[in-house]
Amino acid sequence: MYVLGISCFYHDSSACLLKDGKIVAAVEEERFSRKKHDNSFPINAINYCLDSQKINIDKIDHIGFYEKPFLKFERILYQHLEMFPLSLKTFVASMPSWLNEKIRVVKIIKKQLKYKGDVMFIEHHMAHAASSFLVCPFEKAAILTVDGVGEWATTTYGLGNKSNIHLMKEIKFPHSLGLLYSTITAYLGFSVNNSEYKVMGLSPYGQMNKEKNKYYRKLQKVIDIKEDGSYKLDMSYFTYHYKDRMPSKKLCDLLEGPIYKRDSKVTQKHKDIAAAVQLITEDTIMKMLTHLYNETKCQNLVMAGGVALNSVCNGKILKNTPFKKIWIQPNASDGGTSIGVACYIYNTIFKKKRNYIMTNAFLGPEYSDKETKDFLDKNKIKYTSFKDEKDLVKTTAKLIYDNNVIGWFRGRMEWGPRALGSRSILSDPTNPNMQEILNSKVKHREKFRPFAPVVCEDDALEYFDCDKPVPEPTDYMLMVYPVFKKWHKKIPSVTHVDGSGRLQTIRRSQNELYYDVIKEFGKHSKIPILINTSFNIRGEPIVCTPFDAYKCMMGTGIDYLVMNKYLVKREDNPQDMWDCEKYARD
Amino acid sequence: MNKINAFLKEFKTGLGLFGQNIALFVNSFLLFVVYLTGVGFTWIFAKLVGKCFLDIKHEKTNTYWDDLNLKTKPEKEYYRQF
Repeated sequence: MYVLGISCFYHDSSACLLKDGKIVAAVEEERFSRKKHDNSFPINAINYCLDSQKINIDKIDHIGFYEKPFLKFERILYQHLEMFPLSLKTFVASMPSWLNEKIRVVKIIKKQLKYKGDVMFIEHHMAHAASSFLVCPFEKAAILTVDGVGEWATTTYGLGNKSNIHLMKEIKFPHSLGLLYSTITAYLGFSVNNSEYKVMGLSPYGQMNKEKNKYYRKLQKVIDIKEDGSYKLDMSYFTYHYKDRMPSKKLCDLLEGPIYKRDSKVTQKHKDIAAAVQLITEDTIMKMLTHLYNETKCQNLVMAGGVALNSVCNGKILKNTPFKKIWIQPNASDGGTSIGVACYIYNTIFKKKRNYIMTNAFLGPEYSDKETKDFLDKNKIKYTSFKDEKDLVKTTAKLIYDNNVIGWFRGRMEWGPRALGSRSILSDPTNPNMQEILNSKVKHREKFRPFAPVVCEDDALEYFDCDKPVPEPTDYMLMVYPVFKKWHKKIPSVTHVDGSGRLQTIRRSQNELYYDVIKEFGKHSKIPILINTSFNIRGEPIVCTPFDAYKCMMGTGIDYLVMNKYLVKREDNPQDMWDCEKYARD
Repeated sequence: MNKINAFLKEFKTGLGLFGQNIALFVNSFLLFVVYLTGVGFTWIFAKLVGKCFLDIKHEKTNTYWDDLNLKTKPEKEYYRQF
């Protein structure tokens, strides 16, 4: 039985294909369209899913959509009715897309895919819950989903058992922890639904002592958090329920100044506000989880929803709550719901036993050696070939040790927002200048944002103060842990200002050559850790094809590109060099 | 001949853009009318009967969790968009 899950028309459109209960392909549309957070109908992603199995749409038994559009439309109309006449501008701006596509999903799916069957619709937070629980390693688990908003729900909790999910309680729009975080993101001059992670990265620079952070005390007026983790926002501080800008004038007054302009200089005030909203988020999540444990008495926890990408908060969960084990969907935001809806249809609606556990995120397209060679030859690109895999590992590790920045393009593309060793940029974390080198050559990030380390799972506890055993979400860069103090100065490029690192752990069974390169690098440097950052041009999605990878290398300062069994040196191909920064946008 | 073709091509593009602008204007105007009449009158009626569409009042209670009780439903329920 083939089931196709679709998520689209809000942000991060994606598709997932299930074959007899096993995920055989899952990918976001942005990787093909090259538009970051693309929300259009994921026709390219669907075509990839079908092509990967060499099937056409007639073979699909069921198609599922990640929300109930009419319920969401009801909420939109209620917003306009409640906020009349203030919502005029957003009404005029948003209605055409609702009338043309969002409430005509069935028609669009049938027309675009020439699909003759019916489409199933799963509640948004149920799709989130299913995306995590139905592919997790636990038979039974407590479930928490927290995001901006679905139809009405913004936060839900419940219990999963075998193939069934029971969502027990919810918090409804307009009260939303995700939208509070986004509002502060907007206030600080960053882009909403994109740069929340920058606020998270900025927070350790601020005052993390609750007593001393005045903005923490101020933000407590904005949100009322109960001991059971439920919360309510004071909506006079927000305008997102009727305007396209999120903070109200009252919130600006509270935070002592107008909304920051994009790219404005980061000040101590930015940092303290970022710290304050991070602290509020952590307070709320910890209380919610303690309550959830008391309600379910289950020691396993699964999470999904955009807020579950807050890796700083995630790293504190097992220490601060009664839960013993945790699993988080690697693509926890809306993109991941296509997996949820497909699994929910197969396992829950059709009552099929769960037979799939997500042990890696390599679910996207891959390109063979032949396809890569054809691309290189056709474009007259100079390259060399590795003799064998051993040569590839040794050469790559040595190049990294010699302070080169390497583009690493091998295997199936990652599912979710993080590069995990298929489409990564690798470099040496022991070089104290590497953060600056990477920023000047490739990433052009804000200085306050650290790079992430990747370490073999069996070495993680030597360098990082992780929970024991190391939780699986670290495989997906979803947990931030302290770096042991003695290593701070030895791996400065991946140690954040507060001494933490957003590590990725890798097991050999997940990606052999990637694992071997890290170990081989360790033989040179005595520290088997690499910098792993996403292989993309600033403002663009992670690369997908050999063309994207080559274009990215030639537009940035990446020194070498390891593309399957071929090695391309940037300097050997001066004819294709260009400056991507002229076109980059966040 | 080439000049004529180029002119026609440009003319078609310009006409398309003009059409889009007109459509945008007409749509905006129609939506404005719908907003004032449909949303506006419903809003007035709702105010008269005291109906609230969104929970935006700052009323404190012991807990803000609402019952959801969402479980597996019969298959046919999932073909609905609501």
